[in-house]
Order: sequence, then C-alpha cells, then structure tokens
Amino acid sequence: MSLLKAKSSLTREKRLDTLNALQGTVDSLEREFSTKEPVKRTRTFSQSSHDDLLHALRLLASIRESVIVIHGSRGCAAAGLFYHLTVAAGCWIVTNLDERDTIMGADLKLRKAVTEAYKRYKPELIFIVATPVVAINNDDIQSVVDELHEALDVDIIPLYVTGFASHHAVTGYDIALHALLKYLGGKRSDEHQHENRINLLSVAGHNDDQREAERLLSVFGLELNTLPDGASAKTFRQAQRARLSISLDDDSSNYIGICLHDEYGVPYVEAPRPIGLGATGRWLAAAGKELGLEEAAQTFHEQECKKVKQSLGNFTLKGVRVYLGLSAATLFSVLDLVEELGGEVIGITFRYIDHRYKHRLHELALMHPALPIHVADGQPFEEVNIIKRLSPDLYLGDAAHLSQIGRLGIPVVSLEESPILGYNGLIFAARRFAAALRNRSFASAIARSPSVYQNAWLRRSANWHIKMEVK
Amino acid sequence: MAHHIEGSRNSCALHGALQVIGAIEGAVPVIHSTAGCGMQHHLGITRLNAGNDTFGGPSVSSSNISQKHIVFGGGSRLREQLKNTVKIIQGELYVIVTGCSTEMVGDDIPAMTKEGREQDFPVIYANTPGFRGDVHQGYQLTIKALIEQLPKLGKVAEPVSDSIVNIWGIVPQQDPFWFGNLEEIGRLLETVGLKPNLLFGNGQGLAAWQQVPEAVLNLVVSVWGETPAQLLEERYGTPALVLDALPVGRASGRMLQAVTERLHLDTRRAERVIQDEENRLTNHLAALADTYYRSGFQREFALVGESAQVAGFSEFLAGTLGMIPRLLIMTDNPPDHARETLYSYVTSFVEGYGTELFFSEDHGEITDRLRSSSAELVLGSALEKEVAFEMGVPFLELSFPLVERVVLNRCTVGYRGAITLLEDVGSALLAASGHRIQEA
Repeated sequence: MSLLKAKSSLTREKRLDTLNALQGTVDSLEREFSTKEPVKRTRTFSQSSHDDLLHALRLLASIRESVIVIHGSRGCAAAGLFYHLTVAAGCWIVTNLDERDTIMGADLKLRKAVTEAYKRYKPELIFIVATPVVAINNDDIQSVVDELHEALDVDIIPLYVTGFASHHAVTGYDIALHALLKYLGGKRSDEHQHENRINLLSVAGHNDDQREAERLLSVFGLELNTLPDGASAKTFRQAQRARLSISLDDDSSNYIGICLHDEYGVPYVEAPRPIGLGATGRWLAAAGKELGLEEAAQTFHEQECKKVKQSLGNFTLKGVRVYLGLSAATLFSVLDLVEELGGEVIGITFRYIDHRYKHRLHELALMHPALPIHVADGQPFEEVNIIKRLSPDLYLGDAAHLSQIGRLGIPVVSLEESPILGYNGLIFAARRFAAALRNRSFASAIARSPSVYQNAWLRRSANWHIKMEVK
Repeated sequence: MAHHIEGSRNSCALHGALQVIGAIEGAVPVIHSTAGCGMQHHLGITRLNAGNDTFGGPSVSSSNISQKHIVFGGGSRLREQLKNTVKIIQGELYVIVTGCSTEMVGDDIPAMTKEGREQDFPVIYANTPGFRGDVHQGYQLTIKALIEQLPKLGKVAEPVSDSIVNIWGIVPQQDPFWFGNLEEIGRLLETVGLKPNLLFGNGQGLAAWQQVPEAVLNLVVSVWGETPAQLLEERYGTPALVLDALPVGRASGRMLQAVTERLHLDTRRAERVIQDEENRLTNHLAALADTYYRSGFQREFALVGESAQVAGFSEFLAGTLGMIPRLLIMTDNPPDHARETLYSYVTSFVEGYGTELFFSEDHGEITDRLRSSSAELVLGSALEKEVAFEMGVPFLELSFPLVERVVLNRCTVGYRGAITLLEDVGSALLAASGHRIQEA
C-alpha cells in the first residue's frame, strides 16, 4: 500500500525498531540488531526530552508562506516562540484550550483560529498541529480541515502528533513530512519526466550547512530543490519530478526520501552525512554515481581536499580522547572525522539507534568491539555518570544539556547550532575543536558549581534505571 | 472562554511553576507529564533568557508518560519517578508539577505526594496543567502550594529576631532581570534596617521559604504578588504593602517612605538614605545632559512588557527623563480590577497628553498597534524588533523574551536600575544615531 494513503506516518519504533534506552558495548548493540528484533527498554527514572510535537514545530518553522496553528493548551506553543525568534519569523497561533475545552472539545475554536489566520495573513499553507490534549480527547481535526479547505480555498495540512504515542521525537519529522507530501506531493504523473533537478533533503539544518551542500552540488550543474528547510508549497509539488533525492542527514529525512522513491519513483541516494573529508567525498561520489558524473565529483573533491589541508595546517587530534553524544547519522560521520584527525573515540551516546545502522555497527564492532555505547535521548543523568568515569579530553555533542558535561570540567564543543558539513564546515569545526582544547578555563571555572546529582547515583551503574519493557 | 493567541509570550502554568522552583536553591521539580513539557520550557523560556539555566539544560526529572499511561493512568509511573528522583537528584525539597495530559487522565497527585511524605521524602505538589492558565497563574499556584504545604513537612524555621519583609510579584525569568531586581529591592530595604526575604535567587532556599510566615510585611510589586499576600494575610495576619508599579528611580524613595511609615521605622534614617541615593542619581543625570540634548533623548516612545514593568519604566522615563510615553502595551493579562488603576497611573505622567494603553498578548495585535503608533523609540521584547526595524526607529530589548542580550545580575528597578535603564536606553539611541563605518 502506498505510504501516503495512511492518515499519518508510523512511529519510528514500529517502522525501524528504534531504540532510545540501552547501555553496553558496540558488540552487544550489534548483536541486539543482528540476531533478532531488538528488545524495547524503558526507564524507571527519566528527564525531559524532545517529543514529536517539538520536532514537528521545528520542521514547520522553516516552511515559507505558512501559518502554524497549534491546537492545544498554551504551553504547547512555547517552543514556537523560540523557533520564531531563531529560525524564521513565521506566524504561529495557539488555540489556547482551557479546562472547559478539554471536556467539551474545541472544534469551533480551531475553526475560528484557522479562519482568522487565513483572513489576516493569506498564507499559502496553514498547518494544524495536534497536541497531547486533543490527542487524548480525540478531537476531530480532519473534518475541520476538509470543511475549511473548501471554504477558504487554501491548503490546510494537519499533523497528528501526540506527545506520547512514540518514544522517539524524530517521529515528529516523519509525521510532518508525511503530511506535507500527502497534501502537496500531488498525483504521480503518468509521463514521468525527470527534470534537471536534485532534491536536496535538509531537515532542521544550519543555514551555513545548507549553503555548503548547495555549493558542493553545484559541481553537477543541476538545479536544486531544497526541502523541507526553506521550502514553499511549490518545492514539494515539484519534488516528484527530480532526477534524484540526496539527504544531508538520513536520520531526519530518510522518511521523505523513501516516500519520494516509493510514491513517485525518485531515486533516493543514501550516503553518510558529509562531515569530514572522507564522508564528504563519499557523499559527493554517491550523487555523482547516480547522475553518471563521477569524474566531476572526484575532481572537485580533490581540489577541495587540498584547500582544506592547507587551511587545517598541522591541526591534529592525536592523543585526544573524545566522547560523542549525537544522533546516529551525525555520530558515525563525526566518528570518522575524529579518526581522520588522529583522535580516539572512547565512548558514544547515540540519541537513538535503529536497524538502518546494522551495517555500520557491524563495521564498528570489528574495529572496536568493546567501545562503550549508550543510547539515550536527553538523559544527562546517565551520560554524566558514564562520562565522569571515562573522563574524556573533549566532548562533541548536539543536545541541549551540554552545560552539564561542561560542569564536569570537560571541554565541550556544541554541534547543535554550528556548521559542520562539507569542506567549509570542517574548517570551521576544527577551529572550534582547537580552541576548546587550547583553553579549558571556562570548564574549570564552572566545574566548581555544585553537582545536580547525588554521589550515590554517580557511583551506581549507569544502566541501573533501564529495564526491559513489560508488554 | 479563552481566545486563540498569536505569538504568545506567556507560555503556561506548568512553565511558571518550573520558573518558581528553578529559582529556589535546593528545590527540585518533578514533572508528571509527557516528555516534551520540560523541553518546551527550556526552548521557549530558558533559552530566551540567556544566563538563566539553573539545571544545565532541559534535564528536569520528568515521568515522560507514554500511551499506556494515558490509557491506564500514570500514578504508578509517578510513584516510581518520585522515588528515583530523590535518589538521583540532590535537593532539599521536591515539587511534583503536573501537565495537561496527567490532569486529563486524572492521576491522584495528592495521594502520591502523601505516599512520598510517608517515606520521609520532602515532597509537595502543585496542579499546573497548561489549560489552567499562563506563566503567572503557574507562579501563583506554586507559591500557594509552597505556603500551604511547607508546614506539613514538619521542619520548623529557626526563630528570627529581624523584621523580615517578603517580596512578591516578580516572576523569575518572565522578568528577565528578576535576579538583580530582587537584590536591588532587598538592598534598599536593608538601608532602612529591614531584612528582605527575596525568596528567589542566590542563597534563597528552603530556609527562606520557611521564614515566610514570620514576616512583618509582604511587599507586593506587581499584581501577581497580590494572591500570595492575600493568602498570607488570611493565614498569618501579615499586612501587605501594594505598590503601583516596579519602583524605578524616585519611586524607590516613595517605596522606602511607605515602608517606613507602615512599620513605624526611623523616618530620619530613611530620609538620609533617600537623599544619598537621589543625589547619586541626579549627578548621573546631570553628567548625561550634554549627550541627552545633543542626541535628542526626548522621544515619543512605545513600551511593551509586563504591567508592573511598563508602569515602572514609563514612570521613570516620563517622570524623570522627560521622555514622552506614546503607546504602552501590557502583555501579562492583569485581572480586570487592576486595569483601571494601571490606566489612571500611566496616563498621569504627562498631563494633557494622550498616552495610549492597551492590554494584549497577541503578537499580531501588538505589531499593528506599534506600526500605527508613530513612536520614535520601541522598548519591548525580541518580538518587537522586527516592527521597530520596519518603523526605522531605535529599539531596545527590555522585556521577555530576549534574544540579543545576556542578563545575569543587571537590574532595572530601584536607584541602580534607574541608572542601568539610562545606560541601556541611551545606548540604544546612540547606536541608532552614531556615525556609520564607511563601507569599503
């Protein structure tokens, strides 16, 4: 059955056997995925983390000419404020459900919010984003969508996020991408004509990273159709006629790549994130191969490598023990980068991991079978416990809790809001790494602040609170 | 019925609760809700308040309930989470706060809290679902919980000999300058021989909260302090002194006079203090005069922020700095009974001039009002920057949310805050009129 016929996407746990709670070594994790369906685990203590609603909001923040209507109580729009001020100044509205609405339902309120938003802003797209309150009440959003789509003559796209149905926030990206393609992708045209265009899949990426990827792909002389970052309705409509799709981060955009392939026959080039010279070369080569332009990719890569090497000079991570706390696609590429630069990775926290990485895990297990592995989305109590023991020289991460790592006195470089892709990204990142290692005074200064955690916890095994799920 | 809102800056009750708890040393929040609630707070409030990250990220204890808890109830999950929080997170006081989902499911929070106390955990709770209101309701609900439930923990405060004054109405983080503001009000109260009970910030832990009933006075500096003060009056008979606005500049002197009178303190001592502080302020004003005239400080300004901020800042800017309050917008939805008082207060600064006052938290409406205001200077939150740019007028971030400022202990109240405001507003005016670096 066509994926897009469904009301919404499957959760990551159902689609990819995704895990977000585990601690062990590389070979134990590899066995988990190689022999059987991995066993889901939960925590008996947890800390707040992202949910699908937040990821959906982040993705929508960069869609042009759109208005976001968050159908829920007012706090569910808090992150909207952040994205509005830091990503793109779009308009977002919350229906502001009160106690009565949670009992009686609030269809009317939603109708009114959408209608007024349309009248005021005349956007191309209106998104209706569900929240825990309406998911629990099972409010009928779909009939509002159908009815107002007719009445207002505007594309209204519902996102059925819940905040609780999936343990993995990244499901929110899938839900958003599913909705965008379902409503905007259009019917597969019979005479399937490829245009000279590449779909560049970029989800919640850094602007500089997107520019760098566009610079890299310009070597093929094709037009780029970048989505969903900075996309408009038109970008989604024309996506089906592209020669291929290539993603900047398979973790976040793998679903749209697959949908474009299965639904419209657009080839999806799976390649590691272009981070570091090796991975960037492989990424470019993968696109070149699909387009029959391998030579152009190779020549460009060689030129750029020279420039990068010149710029890096004698910078090296030789003798530096590095800990990585990143989402899997980023992590595997950064791991290669650290090794390229002569450093040693001594431990890993994956935000989540799924069966797409079987192969990479297998490779890693051959090289470093006993490398400590931890899988957790925003559970710094475990990470702090692990890192305190390992005491790395450098921590590279993209989570919002990096200051807790810093408070251990460990130099930290955040990859959350900093460019890292391609050749220019590497040059930028290397300067950050060098600065962090050269001067550790800030980490030492904040290391004096009192610990958030009880000593008894820090002495315990870090996987103490990870248990097999009771079905 | 609550109306939909565009671009709200008042988040929700749960977030207000987290702000209260995060500002008390040794207090640990335990969120009973879906995983994203704490993260929403981190992104939507903490990150828009650079320098306010108490816990080192969004890593707040949270039960992160899933589908099965929605269906079968989340009580047992909370029991487990609370027990483990006490073992993992250092704290003197644990506060269970609820989100919308667990309130809808109907989990019995008081029973869970009681169970925790029976195991000797120092735990209290506040029901704070987002559908019950915004950050200000969260502030009030949590303070109410603290006042009512702390005595049940059985610890007795050490006897105090000083005259303690509790300060109410500054919502941590919602007032980006809360830390410095409380310290400055405290400093002023100390000058007349009182012991301020700041309740939030450096060194303000459980002991400070246990002293709340011992106070001789509750000082209320915004409408959001009225509920705690009323509650304390009912329970302990403590009188309250309610200010018209955050005291900025000379209003601080009036605050000291009022406190002195109310508590029958040494009037001469107070007058001496006020004289010293006023002299210092006057000297700064006089030293600024050349720049003031040259750069044309007497602009018609628009100011967007919380009611007590708007009233306090505009009183200083109009009443001392000679600026003209064109348009004032209060974004915190003050209760109806307070609106008329606020209106007559802020329209009294420049007689015969029609200062406009609006109450709105809707970003669209605020933007429209500003656009048609013909103001020459916009003071507000980061949300107002775009329209100020469009209007081509100088702009200063002065209320929540902030994007381009780091605030640690800078204050905007009292005498020191008045001088800070002078520096900040003046710098915004100079930056906009200063010479341009010639483009190559």
